[in-house]
Amino acid sequence: MPAEKEKRIGVFICHCGKNIAGGLNIRDLVESSKQVKGVSFVAENKFSCSEDGQQDIQKAIHEQKLDRVVVAACSPSLHLMTFQRCGEKAGIEPQFVDLVDIRKWTMHGSPQKTNPEEAFEQSKSLIELAVKRMRLKRLIPMAEIKAEHSILVIGGGVAGLEAGLDLADKGYNVYIVERLPTIGGKMALLYKVFPTNDCAPCILAPKTAYANIHPHITLLTNSEVKSVSGHVGNFNVNILQNPRYVDLDKCTGCGECVEKCPIKVKDEVFSAGLGERKAIYIPYDQSIPKKAVIDAENCLYFQKGVCRLCEKQCPTDAINFDQKANSVEIKVGAIIAATGFDEYDPSPKSEYGYGRYSNVITQFQLARLLDIDGPTNGQLLRPSDGKEPKRIVMIQCVGSRDEKANPYCSNICCMYALKHAQIIKEMVLPKAEIFICFIDMRTVGKGFEEYYRRTRELGVLFIRARPSEIVQNTETKNLSMKVDDPEIGRLLKLDADLVVLSCATVPSSGTQELSQILGVKLDGYGFFKEMHPKLRPVETNVRGIYICGSAQGPKDIPDSIVQAKAAASCADSELRKSKIKIPQSLVRTSQLKKGDK
Amino acid sequence: MEEVYVEEFMSPGCVGCPAVKKMLEELKGEFGDQLTVEEVDITVDTTRASQYGVMSVPAIAINGILKFIDVPKKEDLRDALLEEINREE
Repeated sequence: MPAEKEKRIGVFICHCGKNIAGGLNIRDLVESSKQVKGVSFVAENKFSCSEDGQQDIQKAIHEQKLDRVVVAACSPSLHLMTFQRCGEKAGIEPQFVDLVDIRKWTMHGSPQKTNPEEAFEQSKSLIELAVKRMRLKRLIPMAEIKAEHSILVIGGGVAGLEAGLDLADKGYNVYIVERLPTIGGKMALLYKVFPTNDCAPCILAPKTAYANIHPHITLLTNSEVKSVSGHVGNFNVNILQNPRYVDLDKCTGCGECVEKCPIKVKDEVFSAGLGERKAIYIPYDQSIPKKAVIDAENCLYFQKGVCRLCEKQCPTDAINFDQKANSVEIKVGAIIAATGFDEYDPSPKSEYGYGRYSNVITQFQLARLLDIDGPTNGQLLRPSDGKEPKRIVMIQCVGSRDEKANPYCSNICCMYALKHAQIIKEMVLPKAEIFICFIDMRTVGKGFEEYYRRTRELGVLFIRARPSEIVQNTETKNLSMKVDDPEIGRLLKLDADLVVLSCATVPSSGTQELSQILGVKLDGYGFFKEMHPKLRPVETNVRGIYICGSAQGPKDIPDSIVQAKAAASCADSELRKSKIKIPQSLVRTSQLKKGDK
Repeated sequence: MEEVYVEEFMSPGCVGCPAVKKMLEELKGEFGDQLTVEEVDITVDTTRASQYGVMSVPAIAINGILKFIDVPKKEDLRDALLEEINREE
């Protein structure tokens, strides 16, 4: 057997103030670490990550001639880079510096916190394992590759557009893939946005219009990402462009085909099920691209082989019933997932009668009813009889902060309920009575508390309670419920013409499938999981793939914009060096199947 | 090297991972103390997986070098372990 060259390994045990030192005996851990094969030096630091702590490590590397380092402190996702840079400065290859997390067993608030004896034993064996790993570790071969100067953004909502525009302005070629026939996402359908009550499509339009004409942006609407392979700097992406049956180059968006189409169907997407559209349709006036699209499932020609009225009517011969799905292959250096959210379907909350009682709707549906370009042209009319409601009850936290549905707070529901109450009081039905039944009003944000106060000043009434079961009068379709109001200490019977449920935001459909395609992990609620919830909120477990907006968790528009810019900045930081270093195994993954030298 | 340190990258619900685990347990019987196996759950230790460039599981690194992706043949895995044990520095 060839003789093994002796490694000199230093172990540095961090107190992390009292976070570690308060939960196990550091002296004993120092002594036990000295006994591990290969360990030449052991020291303890009050805070290893501090300037003093790092200087002590560097001093020991020089004085003790260490060539490998193990730091026993906190999570590698938090500080491994810190200690690798520290070691590199003292002449140690970063790969030969390791960090193990012993704090998880000692720190108050950690789910794995245990008693001092158990913490000691766990830490001892973790250090032994890490020392052995470092002692035997060879250098991971790295390869330098040329990075593609292009980015894929998945999702054409406000977050995706912001990230895409930022990067396109920096000179990257950006592909924005949107599943629907238009970009704009949920924001385009919100009518107004808090806390300014600006017209949502109006303030979104500069971004959608710019994305449409930007020389560095390619919009792929009606399209889905089907597969992704490769690695940071060089991802190969397969995109399926679903057929519109309309030639994008020829269609002028005049709408004559839509007028002639004889088939009307419920518009589930752009009118939230409260309006109708034709089988050939343009999603809404500010659609980008403003081009028609045929819904083959409801088109007479596709279903029964008759009609083709749209084709006869089109002045530019844009209709193409033979159009097929098109597979597009692109190469990109980085990917940003901005797939947004869906509104929680409240049907399982049977006590509220959604789906059974026509006058129980969701806030997203209310937004569509209030929109002057929506299915009722901005008139607030009850779905059951088309009459104006005199009393409206909004119920907060439907499917949010609820152990039986989604335990998390959905972040935006308090504010959009206030927004809709304001719009109704100020612009639509000033005489309507509005009650908001809430658990807590969460109005954290710039100008939000003032917005809440303004809503109260408009006469909107707030009841801190969740209503009991809603009962419908079968003749009038009016609704009634009982609410235990703790402020006045008695049970109120509340009658309403319209009930609006402030539903949770949940991951958009397809998130699970996309996570498998990208190899990006999801959190416990199904949103994309960030690398670190505080310090690396837009990075993921896959280098070169970033997340932003509600794809990462419920958030409002300003926060989505901030995250989009952060994701764009991360992608730029990675790709602006035209060559990047990655583990060689990533470059030749296929060759590894049978073993590698 | 005389010793080998195997990092077995896995995740809960991974279809091929139990086969790799079983294979390594059997090889542990053959190699004894020369072989140390560490199971790395990539859903918990994301940093390690990313350092090695592990994009899918199961994956196996031997003495710090990623050698196998997917379930290897047992003979190939044994050969790789032996090669590492006999490798000169």
